[in-house]
Amino acid sequence: MLTFEPYGNPTYFALLGVALLPLMIGILYGKRSRLYETLISIFFLVLTFGGPKWTQGVALIIYILYEVALTWGYAVYRKQHNSGPVFFMTVILSILPLTIVKVTPAVANGQSSLIGFLGVSYLSFRAVQTIMETRDGTLKDYQVMTFLQFMLFFPTISSGPIDRYRRFEADYRSVPDRDKYLGMIQKGVRYIFVGFLYKFILAYYFGTILMPKLQIMAMNSRGGFMDLSWPVVGYMYCYSADLFFDFAGYSLFAVGTSYLMGIETPMNFNQPWRSPNIKDFWNRWHITLSFWFRDFIYMRLVFWFMKHRVFKKPTTTANVTYIINMLVMGFWHGVTWYYITYGLFHGVALVINDAWLRYKKKHRQSIPHNGFTQVFAIFLTANMVCFSFLIFSGLLDKLWFH
Amino acid sequence: MDIKATVLQILSDLTGNDVSGAMDDNLFDSGLLDSMGSVQLLLQLQSDLGINVPVSEFERSEWDTPNKIIAKAESLA
Amino acid sequence: MAKRLLRIFGPLILAAILVFAVLVSPVTFGFKHMSAAKERQAAVSLSPNILRGKHVKEAALGDGYVPFFGSSEWSRIDPMHPSVLAQKYHRDYRPFLLGARGTQSLTQFFVMQNIQSQLRNKKAVFFISPQWFVKGGTRKDAFGFYYSQLQTSEWLSHYRHDAIDQYAAKRLLQMPAAKSDHFINTALQQVAAGKTLTGYQRFYLQSRKNMLTQEDQFFSGINLPSRNLARVNQQAQKLPTHYSYSALDSLAGRIGKAQTGNNSFHISDQFYNHGLKQELKKGKLKNFQKNLSYLKSPEYSDFQLCLDQFARLNTNVLFIIPPINQKWQEYTGLSPAMLRQFDQKIRYQLESQGFHNIVDLSDKGNVPYFMTDTIHPGWRGWLAIDQRVNPFLSQKQAQPKYDISDKFYSKTWQQLGPSQLSQYEQTTK
Repeated sequence: MLTFEPYGNPTYFALLGVALLPLMIGILYGKRSRLYETLISIFFLVLTFGGPKWTQGVALIIYILYEVALTWGYAVYRKQHNSGPVFFMTVILSILPLTIVKVTPAVANGQSSLIGFLGVSYLSFRAVQTIMETRDGTLKDYQVMTFLQFMLFFPTISSGPIDRYRRFEADYRSVPDRDKYLGMIQKGVRYIFVGFLYKFILAYYFGTILMPKLQIMAMNSRGGFMDLSWPVVGYMYCYSADLFFDFAGYSLFAVGTSYLMGIETPMNFNQPWRSPNIKDFWNRWHITLSFWFRDFIYMRLVFWFMKHRVFKKPTTTANVTYIINMLVMGFWHGVTWYYITYGLFHGVALVINDAWLRYKKKHRQSIPHNGFTQVFAIFLTANMVCFSFLIFSGLLDKLWFH
Repeated sequence: MDIKATVLQILSDLTGNDVSGAMDDNLFDSGLLDSMGSVQLLLQLQSDLGINVPVSEFERSEWDTPNKIIAKAESLA
Repeated sequence: MAKRLLRIFGPLILAAILVFAVLVSPVTFGFKHMSAAKERQAAVSLSPNILRGKHVKEAALGDGYVPFFGSSEWSRIDPMHPSVLAQKYHRDYRPFLLGARGTQSLTQFFVMQNIQSQLRNKKAVFFISPQWFVKGGTRKDAFGFYYSQLQTSEWLSHYRHDAIDQYAAKRLLQMPAAKSDHFINTALQQVAAGKTLTGYQRFYLQSRKNMLTQEDQFFSGINLPSRNLARVNQQAQKLPTHYSYSALDSLAGRIGKAQTGNNSFHISDQFYNHGLKQELKKGKLKNFQKNLSYLKSPEYSDFQLCLDQFARLNTNVLFIIPPINQKWQEYTGLSPAMLRQFDQKIRYQLESQGFHNIVDLSDKGNVPYFMTDTIHPGWRGWLAIDQRVNPFLSQKQAQPKYDISDKFYSKTWQQLGPSQLSQYEQTTK
């Protein structure tokens, strides 16, 4: 049976074009057919999770039923009660499948878990967020069908961007007017084509052509200080370029496709390489993930710490929370020393960055701020980030331990 | 109690700046507020004005200038 | 709305039309030139893309490269390998190696289809592997791997209504690869049935051919594997500066001896450790080839396709028939009588049709360091082949006179037992 990686080859895009055409004509004439949208969603989900990958498909179905039961159950419960422990239990239960998937390879010699499927980590974000907003009372009108559409929205199912329930629902329930929708089509088509450039030309060059050569060179140049060598430096930049173009390219496809369907899925990247500091970097890199962490982990933890006056100084609160936040992100990528180190690295970088910004604010007169310092800041940030990606890449693991 | 004056007082304590002269400037873009500052703002609103804002109600684009914050506070009071 | 939609999709549609136009147009876009370095790399790359394509081969064969048709033996690159010797001693010719593991006569017949002008009235070398001539002939999956729609559509654009092309069409239709394009498949059915193609079919095949030719021109030279060229250069350094047969022969013996210490078959240690040691330990290989026969096989008719093609193009071909490592042959129980009969049958097919340039090494299986492994020549074997290849390609040769017979396409010939050979010869005179 036919089966595809999402956005993996020309045939996928051709099928996408054909499937979206009736939907687009519909929206242009002010109509949205829920039935048709559901049918093409199912069609593309079967393409992604069917055939030889059917075990993943089964895992996805069970997972979705499980999350529906949790979110629905909690929404019903929340109408009457609001107990803290019940809320925490629900959140823990909803991330339990993800935890099992992430921990299994670490404890079972790299074996992947049976309940895993492509996109499980991204779906968990959407489910947890739904539960948290239900608790806050900001999400009052939970609908099972909308939740299903939100979770299974095929353009973003495998790797995001991570949308928000209320934002998605507003788009999904309405039909953009013709003028606005034409603008969305225009953007969507442009995004998809920039995506082609990123993913199939640039990421292919860096990731498929250059990177394996650099990796072999790096492995052959072991023996120096910490097994480091110039090829490792080359690999660091090459890996960073590949990571960016591959993921930004994929995100452009996902956002572009959503736009064509009349849904304004949020953007995932906004020129991250021009960030003057690491804090700004996280406002530009994998935006929907970092904002999710900001809104549902960082801000909530800070709120809780401050409310209960755990730390005397606000700066201590911020610093501790940065570290926790980024460590959680590291664990989310996978339970390996290099992902966790990567998280810790960014946590510490954020702490230092904040301290520097405070210092700079205090000594505004004596610290120069001009074009040169701006360029230097961007250069420094980009290189720090590339270094963190070298940790993230796992090459050091291969250099040192294999 | 005057909500506007209280909010301005909270903001000036938080940011170390008097923001009353630039009521429509984006506080996040200028670096005066960040996530940490937002949480502090929400906590202060709660203690000083008794306004309860859940974190998930805090949508950045609705809270990014002094005027918008005052409007939000007034609507929630 | 229409105007805005046109503004959005206009460039996209235009781009699609332009790409399509470039692909189907018969014009070549200045990619004709091919650098000498790239040709050197391609000639020994053994890359399946080169084999399936056209552009690189066409350019190199026009620049003094000679096609060496064969299969896995070409990858056994040691100092006496034809490519190494030709480079080191600045021969007038350079081998362009065509074939890899799994390529047999049928694949080679299609490979010839789009280098016809480079074969016409020229010379070529053809390495026959006895192992091709097994009961089932060419393996369907291996054929599929090297199958090229470009070559098939090129062939369909110049096929003739005769036994050779009808047989080729029928044979191709037995391969799953023929189904990869619906229109090509129907065209093949018509050719096999002796019918002519319709105007529409010719148009489709022509467009498809143009498209694949353009693709091949744009992409086949990209990312050529360079490992084999590096190996050739490396091996060339081990050779003495001046050619002397006796010096090379003793060098071949020395290298062979040094590299075959760890087993009783005189097989190179590397090959033995990687491919055989484990299997031999299990003891499954003793006498496992006892009942194997190379005498009855559809491969004989596939091979006839190649001969027919050479005759049509008046190509002067040197055929090589290699031996089998005798120690290995004895251990696995492969019948020496059968191998002698194979030699007779294949030589009859060649000589009765006027192919007299044959390097028959089938009795050299016990010469020390002649074979690098079980069935592939190395060291002294390559050197012995060079003794014939070099004069054949460097000196002027008499024009061959071919006398092709369609009887070799018959089932009778494919399945003919060795004892009936002389009787067959009489009856089919």
